[in-house]
Amino acid sequence: MAKVTREMVERSGVDVDVLLELLIKNAAAELTTYYYYTILRTNLIGLKGEGLKEIAEVARIEDRNHFEALVPRIYELGGKLPDDMKEFHDMSACPPARLPENPTVEEILKVLVEAERCAVREYTQICNMTAGKDHRTYDLALAILNEEIEHESWFSEFLGEGPSGHFMRRGETSPFVSKFLK
Amino acid sequence: MKIFSKDELKYFDGKEGRPAYVAYKGRVYNVTNSFLWKGGKHMALHVAGCDLTEELKKAPHGDEFIKRFPVVGVLECK
Ligand code: HEM
Repeated sequence: MAKVTREMVERSGVDVDVLLELLIKNAAAELTTYYYYTILRTNLIGLKGEGLKEIAEVARIEDRNHFEALVPRIYELGGKLPDDMKEFHDMSACPPARLPENPTVEEILKVLVEAERCAVREYTQICNMTAGKDHRTYDLALAILNEEIEHESWFSEFLGEGPSGHFMRRGETSPFVSKFLK
Repeated sequence: MKIFSKDELKYFDGKEGRPAYVAYKGRVYNVTNSFLWKGGKHMALHVAGCDLTEELKKAPHGDEFIKRFPVVGVLECK
């Protein structure tokens, strides 16, 4: 644990235990989403599905990156991941992004967009809690939020909710979070 | 429909196998089956067995989620 780091955050008025619980829950959400998106991506098939496969893949890889980026911050602040992976799964901040019973492209897209929306809510909350107080967690949560917002807009575009307003990634992944992965 | 006093509601805290009930704007909702209310706790910040009407104003979502859950009664107003 980085003792003074934690002390500074505590002294700024953040309840570090609550923050840690949220960070661990979100780390669980990212890793489980990475797993569930593997299944969703595999099932994006046919003429419509094929084009979405790559997009789901980018979101999947970036969610894993978010997990990787969250873990050091959890330990710096004195937290830890549970030993039991089943426990970790069940404490996720978002419901499991399971393959729908009727796995049409449309139904899979709905699962994808809901998962991203849950993440957008979560990181907005963490940003609100840490803004101007815990600078490092804020910076990290904001970087992740930027990517989750882009994921939401990609998938919602395909659900006919209007243009996302931007391009897909061009080769690289995690343009915002990569600085935490070096 | 059952009328819950605030004290009665406290029993339904989702702990040790008890159901998890949450009051919102006078209605009591059963969130026991929610993945996000396991053990009666929600997002490290909220607990079941309480009236969370004020807390929801600070949440990153509106009442669209709570309204999907079954209503099991109303909260006594006094
Ligand atoms: C700061 C406080 C809160 C945070 C950070 C929070 C966060 C969340 C998030 C991220 C979700 C998932 C949304 C999605 O799938 O897109 C959720 C769902 C939900 N929240 Fe909250 N929430 C908070 C407060 C509350 C309060 C006060 C209530 C009660 C009135 C509440 C009731 C619910 C319910 C019932 C669900 C749906 C659960 C399900 O579908 O299984 N939340 N919340």
